[in-house]
Amino acid sequence: MGAYHQMGHDSENLLREPALAGYRGAILSPVNYSLSDVHAQVEEFASRPDFELIFDPQLYVPTSERGCLRQWPYFPADVDTADLHSEQWWGALLDDLSKTASELGQVNVCSPAILPKSYSDEYFLSLVRAGEMLRERLRSPSLRVIQTVVASLAELTVEGSAMRIASILSQSGIDRIYLVLVGSTEPRRELADAEELKGAMSLIRLLASSGMQILVGYSSSDMLLWRHAGATDCASGKFFNLRRFLKSRFEEPAGGGGQLPYWFEETLIAFLRESDLIRVQKASLLSDSSTRNPYCSEILVTQAAMPGSTWLAKAWRQYLWWFADAEARISAGEVIVPALLKEAEQVWTNIEDTILMEEPRNDGKWLRAWRRACIEFTP
Amino acid sequence: MSGPQLEEIAKSFCKSEKFEYIEFVGRGAFKESFKARHSDGSLIAVKVFRGGVTNARSDREIDALRRCSHPQIARLGFVKSLNVGGATYLVTCEEYLSGGTLTRRLDGPGVLSVDETRSMAIALVDALSHIAALGLVHRDIKPDNIMFREDGRTPVIVDFGLVRDLSAESLTQTWLLRGPGTPFFAPPEQLLNEKALIDWRADQFSLGVVLSIASTKMHPYQEAGDDDSATVERVARRTGPTDGFRMSVRSLKMEVLEKMVGPWPIQRFRTPRQLVAAWASMGA
Repeated sequence: MGAYHQMGHDSENLLREPALAGYRGAILSPVNYSLSDVHAQVEEFASRPDFELIFDPQLYVPTSERGCLRQWPYFPADVDTADLHSEQWWGALLDDLSKTASELGQVNVCSPAILPKSYSDEYFLSLVRAGEMLRERLRSPSLRVIQTVVASLAELTVEGSAMRIASILSQSGIDRIYLVLVGSTEPRRELADAEELKGAMSLIRLLASSGMQILVGYSSSDMLLWRHAGATDCASGKFFNLRRFLKSRFEEPAGGGGQLPYWFEETLIAFLRESDLIRVQKASLLSDSSTRNPYCSEILVTQAAMPGSTWLAKAWRQYLWWFADAEARISAGEVIVPALLKEAEQVWTNIEDTILMEEPRNDGKWLRAWRRACIEFTP
Repeated sequence: MSGPQLEEIAKSFCKSEKFEYIEFVGRGAFKESFKARHSDGSLIAVKVFRGGVTNARSDREIDALRRCSHPQIARLGFVKSLNVGGATYLVTCEEYLSGGTLTRRLDGPGVLSVDETRSMAIALVDALSHIAALGLVHRDIKPDNIMFREDGRTPVIVDFGLVRDLSAESLTQTWLLRGPGTPFFAPPEQLLNEKALIDWRADQFSLGVVLSIASTKMHPYQEAGDDDSATVERVARRTGPTDGFRMSVRSLKMEVLEKMVGPWPIQRFRTPRQLVAAWASMGA
């Protein structure tokens, strides 16, 4: 069980930070890095003890202009005109992807997945087939295939859909799943639809109960829910403090992300702007986790000395440190997620009349949905 | 074509192969079986497909049997085509299983003991594992299709007529094709023709129903007063297993059966290895 670093724009330096050594691995990005860049990352990090490198080919929306993606040798030149349902087309793509993976060396590879128009049974079956086909091609003992699964949070609210999807996915001979949950939550907002959360948690629990390992990609603080549901691992990156995986992100310029710094506060399970951080700090509500987080003290010292100075880079680190630390405490049984959420909701209730956040929608209301999901999700 | 006419073909075939024709054994929807003696003295089953049934269905069945090589799966000897009166008849020679069917064994009021059920389950799951490893789904596991060798203890899966037959277009057609009674053992995904959901766990469900009936005389989804049709409806609606069934198997410490007949494939054992381990550890 562990936290994985979802590599984003200009973020390999974060892998070198000693304070962020709690990550068990990294998910390498062909969007933000060229083949030679990723090759260099593999060279640098593959020898790190107990550290896993995973390559996600990121073909979710192949027709979009996504950074370096089109330069990669496996990227299909005919993507704009090809029949994406053709087994022959997939075969050629997987041939090229397996060659690329072999060239990269010590990386495990996620099977490619394209966001569908509709999340039908046939779509999930096609994901399983793509995984199996890639596994047949990657016969190297040092390379493992991870079955990518793209699931729509909205679709998971349909009765029986978690059972149906899990039934299909569990046909895979690959025991490890890379789960990408596609939603419509805009940047800076929390996932707050209890039915969507219950569907996703049910899917995770069902797959985990069948003996599969689940790595949830593109997580944020919702990692707490996925781990509670039975996910083995969760991945997050510096932009995923504020953003979620949604289709429209492929229409945005790469390398973006919230430009305001946010502090993640475990006491409230919330991201705080600077002014709200000061309010929470004055009320002595900073968590033990924040007290131990080395980036928290750096931020507080800097802000005390130079009010108004930017701390965006520190904010990413502060969040990423919390992510790995919280994940480790869950793994060790030191954190019981429903209890943590209950306490946080209670704190929000307690401060209702004493602290008014600058961000009006930062009110902790999503915690009710999260708690309800935890109680009701069991399939 | 009726029995006696196929019998004539079987007799003619035996004569040409220098086999001793013995007797008519049984009749299925697509073929009839006869008992004969090979020139080496061993008993064999001669199966004659009805005229014109040399199609994709029989090809799949024969192909599956040829690919299988397992002690709990009927062994195929050879296949021949006979042209009689302008029609082509397919004839297969298989090992003769003299221990009878599980149907016959379950005819009486008694049930199989827990030990008997477990040992039969382990043997048959091993066969299902072999079938699954070949990418096949039998799709018609039922007491009629489980026979025993001469020792009366070694179960063998027969009749691969529906193997990988995922081409049926509607529920009605599927039921008619398989004849009355067979849906009683089928999982929801097969009854509803949910092709994307069908894998070896469909066979696991059917075997779970067979073993449940063998050990408790209860179909896992059958409520008191239900006839077979109502039971099948419950399976198709995924409303089960019943509380009565759950209590019954728990009292026998055979909870493994409860999992085998889960309404969704994900609720069953994912791999044959997991299922064998569950049976093997039962009572350990």
